[in-house]
Amino acid sequence: MIRTLTGRNTDVIGIGEYRISSTPMATIGLGSCIGLIIHDRDHGYGGLAHIMLPASNGRKDRPGKYADTAIGTLAEDLRVQGSSKNALAAKLVGGASMFPGFNGSLNIGERNIETVRAALAAERIRIAAEDVGGNVGRSVIYDPGEMGKISIRRADGTCTDM
Amino acid sequence: MEQLTDAQCDALREMGNIGAAHAATVLSQMMNSNVEMSVPEIHLVDVSDLHSYIGDEVSAIVVFQITGDLGNGGFVVFQMPEPTARRMTAFVTGMQEGSPAFTDMDKSAILEIGNIMVSAFLDGTAGLLNILMLPSPPVFVMDMPHAAIETIISAQALDIDSVVIFRTELRSAEHEIHGNLLLLPNPLMLRDILNLLEKLIAPHV
Repeated sequence: MIRTLTGRNTDVIGIGEYRISSTPMATIGLGSCIGLIIHDRDHGYGGLAHIMLPASNGRKDRPGKYADTAIGTLAEDLRVQGSSKNALAAKLVGGASMFPGFNGSLNIGERNIETVRAALAAERIRIAAEDVGGNVGRSVIYDPGEMGKISIRRADGTCTDM
Repeated sequence: MEQLTDAQCDALREMGNIGAAHAATVLSQMMNSNVEMSVPEIHLVDVSDLHSYIGDEVSAIVVFQITGDLGNGGFVVFQMPEPTARRMTAFVTGMQEGSPAFTDMDKSAILEIGNIMVSAFLDGTAGLLNILMLPSPPVFVMDMPHAAIETIISAQALDIDSVVIFRTELRSAEHEIHGNLLLLPNPLMLRDILNLLEKLIAPHV
């Protein structure tokens, strides 16, 4: 739990976790991981997943950890809560390549981005905004109550709302 | 790795203690001042809780892969918050502090300091275990520590749920600098280290 400038409590979603809520959520220090937000504009709530790897390879115990399980799980949980597909829109943050040239396997960020996009397309969830790739880390706060606004702070000092 | 026993934690802490003491000594020589070292912490951390131990305060981060007898797969990370890194490079390069950008000269100074410290750390550790441990060429980023560590553990060949973090803080009051030295052994390397430590302790029991 972190306290934001506005004094509201914000739940931190750790690596591999996901949550659906109508109160603010955050992920701090996204590197190659993806912060995936699926917001329901009709209900004013949404989900945030902190995705670490592209492929679950059959693992079922941590659905939020993998791109190929997180999107389906969030979509299903939102459907159960009463969301209609048309009201949902996704935002993607992260997937940086922080260590170019360190070695090939470190470029997991790019594969995370591609897999998340493909999974969203398969679920027919539209992507409303992206801040992905590049080589700097990012922290994100998602406020479902503020029309699903997300605030991004990058390691290079720049900040964006989207 | 499900959990570490108390004895394993003690052995790792002692190993880290020796390594960190070597690193503190060379840092103290470079800074020409006293360097204090905190009691090393050992944590077995679930990845979902990594943010409770590693934050997003922008820092100078130098990453080394450990090579040598134990093969690839562990990392040593030297991390200093940005203001500390600037004070340190200003002192070492003899330049005025306060230029808006972190220059190439600042960067190479941090790389060099990191290189010397981490080499000393691994020397101390490897000396205890009686093996060879060498740092890879270092990689520098000015970024969020959580983002860097997350990226490193995501790139492991194994899909891991938890990570062992060894952390000690080095502090020079005179220069108002402080930094963290982190050791992140991958599961195979951790097993090898624990086996070696066990052999080391066994004859005296």
